[in-house]
Amino acid sequence: MSAELVSLLLQFQPDSPQLKTRLDYDRAARNFVSQVSNISASHWSKGADTPQDVLTILNPAINTIAYAFALRHRIHALLDKKHVRDVLQPGGELWNKLVLFLETSDPVQLRYVGKEWRTLVENTEQIAQLCDTPCLAIAPIRSAMTRLDPTTGTFTSTHINFIQLCMQTRSYAAAEPILDNYIYALPTKIPHIVREDLEYSVVCADVASSGEYIHQCSYHSNKVSLVDVQQYYVLGAMAYLGVRQFKKAQQFLEHVLVVPTSNTANGLMLEAYKKWVLVSCLVAGRPVSTPRTANGNAMKTIKSASKAYEALAEAYEELDNMPKLKAQIKFGAETWAEDGNTGLVTELLNSQMRTYVSQLSRTFSAIPVSNMANNVGANTEEIAQYLDTLIKDGHLNARLEQTDKSSVGEVLRFYLDPTQGPLAKSEKQQQQALFEQTLRTNTLAEQVKDADYRLTLTKEYVENQKRLNKRQGPGADTMDTTWDDSIDAEEDIMVDMH
Amino acid sequence: MASNIEQSPFFQRRKDQGDIVVKDAPKFDLESYIANYAGFTRIERLRHIGSHSPYLAVDAYRLAIAEAKRGKNVALYMGLLEEFSQMAPQDAAAVLDMAWAEKKTRETQQEQDKLEHELKSYKNNLIKESIRMGNEDLGHFFFDTGDYVSAQKAYQKMRENCTSPKHLADMTLRLVYTSIASHSWSAVPTNLAKTEATQLRGEERAKLEPIVSVCHGLTQMVAGSWREAATHFLATSPAYLTAEPVGNIAWQKEILSGNDVAVYGGLCALATMDRTELQNKVLGNSDFRNFLELEPHIRRAISLFCNSKYSACLEVLEGYRNDYLLDVYLSEHDQLSNMYNRIRSKSIVQYFIPFSCVTLDELAAKFPPAEGSTIVGDLVKMIDHGTLDARIDLVDRLLISPPTNPRHNVHADALAMAETYDHTLRLRLTRLNLQAAGMEIKSDKASEKASSHTGDGFSSNMRNLGSKIGF
Repeated sequence: MSAELVSLLLQFQPDSPQLKTRLDYDRAARNFVSQVSNISASHWSKGADTPQDVLTILNPAINTIAYAFALRHRIHALLDKKHVRDVLQPGGELWNKLVLFLETSDPVQLRYVGKEWRTLVENTEQIAQLCDTPCLAIAPIRSAMTRLDPTTGTFTSTHINFIQLCMQTRSYAAAEPILDNYIYALPTKIPHIVREDLEYSVVCADVASSGEYIHQCSYHSNKVSLVDVQQYYVLGAMAYLGVRQFKKAQQFLEHVLVVPTSNTANGLMLEAYKKWVLVSCLVAGRPVSTPRTANGNAMKTIKSASKAYEALAEAYEELDNMPKLKAQIKFGAETWAEDGNTGLVTELLNSQMRTYVSQLSRTFSAIPVSNMANNVGANTEEIAQYLDTLIKDGHLNARLEQTDKSSVGEVLRFYLDPTQGPLAKSEKQQQQALFEQTLRTNTLAEQVKDADYRLTLTKEYVENQKRLNKRQGPGADTMDTTWDDSIDAEEDIMVDMH
Repeated sequence: MASNIEQSPFFQRRKDQGDIVVKDAPKFDLESYIANYAGFTRIERLRHIGSHSPYLAVDAYRLAIAEAKRGKNVALYMGLLEEFSQMAPQDAAAVLDMAWAEKKTRETQQEQDKLEHELKSYKNNLIKESIRMGNEDLGHFFFDTGDYVSAQKAYQKMRENCTSPKHLADMTLRLVYTSIASHSWSAVPTNLAKTEATQLRGEERAKLEPIVSVCHGLTQMVAGSWREAATHFLATSPAYLTAEPVGNIAWQKEILSGNDVAVYGGLCALATMDRTELQNKVLGNSDFRNFLELEPHIRRAISLFCNSKYSACLEVLEGYRNDYLLDVYLSEHDQLSNMYNRIRSKSIVQYFIPFSCVTLDELAAKFPPAEGSTIVGDLVKMIDHGTLDARIDLVDRLLISPPTNPRHNVHADALAMAETYDHTLRLRLTRLNLQAAGMEIKSDKASEKASSHTGDGFSSNMRNLGSKIGF
């Protein structure tokens, strides 16, 4: 029986010569998945812990589909709600196999076993949580995500689980590789007519976007809701704040603010807005306007609910009246603590002085440190030391120097020419940056095209097109009518086949 | 005498309130200055001078009180007397003439009754022209007694009984005049627009135009839009100087004299125009030359500015500062000092253009800072406002023109712009994806409704789902 099983499992060989075209590959893979899923649970546990164990015979990188099923059944049999067996514990034999699978499995085959893949990823987290070592699950999950989709640009329930796990374990830096990838697609409904029997759009094809194989019928993701997406962005922004990437945090928060709404806002939007006001000050040195795509009424609602934060931003801007910000912060201490923003508010206070100094560079080319000390009411040496750290940390394009005039003392001298000083960028660096930006923009353009394509597949779009064609009547654009006809024809063929 | 006046409670209080008090003697002669004016503006100007210049206070108030006694405005008379008695109680003119006041009050009351009665009888007769004139008389009467609101109302009632464009124009001009007199500046432009819209032709129209542009100019200047004000003043035709009264108002005597037009126009232009514009639009403007000839020092200041002799220009203007502070419109809302500051900072900017580096002491000598401020403070303000592109070196006391590197800047700008666009596009794509997936924040009402019909909602959802998937 066990041998039979093995031979069945080895039936599907991804690089066999018969599977040259993608269409053949797709059919074979789908047949194989339905065969394997029919094998009953008891068959899988046979031969475990012997040399005949399927998990030792199969290679996760080649027989990914079969391995995924085998692994899932094995773990399912062993997994207990309360305690974890030794083999499953991190470091145990089965855990190692699980990690190996997540890290080395074949990306194309993974597209066919969405449910198994998702369960295995969820199991990884579950086991790590049960063993009180949740951080051990981060790296395997991350590699599993990039394995399935190198761009991780299609939002899945794994994304939200992953970021929650990172926040729980405070591993902000570990979350960055995933957060840095822009989410360009959500799992949508793709009509199966487009998914099957077309050489260039079957699941295993070299598609432009992962949105074409991660969709609502592929089971790679649980159902995701708007709140999940918002939560991902808010948590992501907090992770960025944890690694002091304020600009990225600000951009993440903006994603929460622009979600479609019927003129109302929700709590996550409010929370994002509060943080956004503070982070914007840190990034730009002054309050900025909300993204234009955001819904006006929703913005009005949340603005009226976050007056305290706006007052703070206003006080931040008044660089000639620094005590005001301190007073505001003290006054609202309870509010910040309640909203969990005390850390950010403290950061705001620290950065005000920095903004003040960098604003000086717009007016002065050189200024004695003692002058600044007088203006802000502090000790000259302290200020000099502070300036020194600012320059070293790359916040100021300036230098401290001693003058021969004894009355003046130490002097802060700004570099007027942007090509000089410690923060200067050479032309080559600039060119490189521009080049990288071009690449990013091109990728984005592709993603937009792809989103556009997906929109044309929706029922609403097709119906609208039909209506348009009808209105135009006979003699209208012939291209579109044939497109409609071809859909019907295809559907007829399908009916015949079944 | 003057020092006594300056110590008087009236001026002390003004000083405490931070109002302007002009200590030094102005250059003009009060008698000849005020001879240029007639009507309400005469008393208004006298009162303004009297209350701002201790030097001229006594003369100005004496004239004003005598003038007020000739009119019908009892409240104005009482007000003037009260102010005057606070600065020179021993003066003969400071004695309140109660008998006159009572008599005048009675008389005006009688006149008002008479006029209203007449108007009523006109209305009964239904003769349009009579009703119009009755309203007009009532308006004039209210204007004379200083009740500008009622005057405005009476004039407005003329509207429906106006039978010719001339009547309409006269009425709207009266409204403009009343609005200016009551300093309700927001009403002036609307009434001016109505005046312009009247269908007067030919000569009548030509008479109207200079008046309209002068009033526009004045309104814009008071509102602080100096550039627009300058345009209007510069476009005023010299016919204004000799024009006959329009709508029974001698505008160049009762509102602004030709000298005023020259001063206001010149200052507004100096404050807002650059050198070539000044040369072409002011000095080269043959119409405005007629006005400028009345005030040769304004002309001189402008040509000095055009010839890059900024400190000489400022010196000329500074010499006339006291005169202009005693002008009723220029001194309003600190207009004059703002205007002077603007001219000064413009001069500094123009002066600095050919240099890469100037010592601060040199600048301070060329453009002496006003009392209570330093040249550094002024420069900091200008740089912060973006009017001056320079950096200050406080150590070597220099003003430095920053080196420019267009190539670097273009690269940096391009990069920043690309990043912003990139981010904006991402935001929009996120939104589009969410919309395509049917995700939207629903209002509470909708969700409540859904929860109250859970059964229905659920099955219909399922149905929707089914139809979407394609079953």
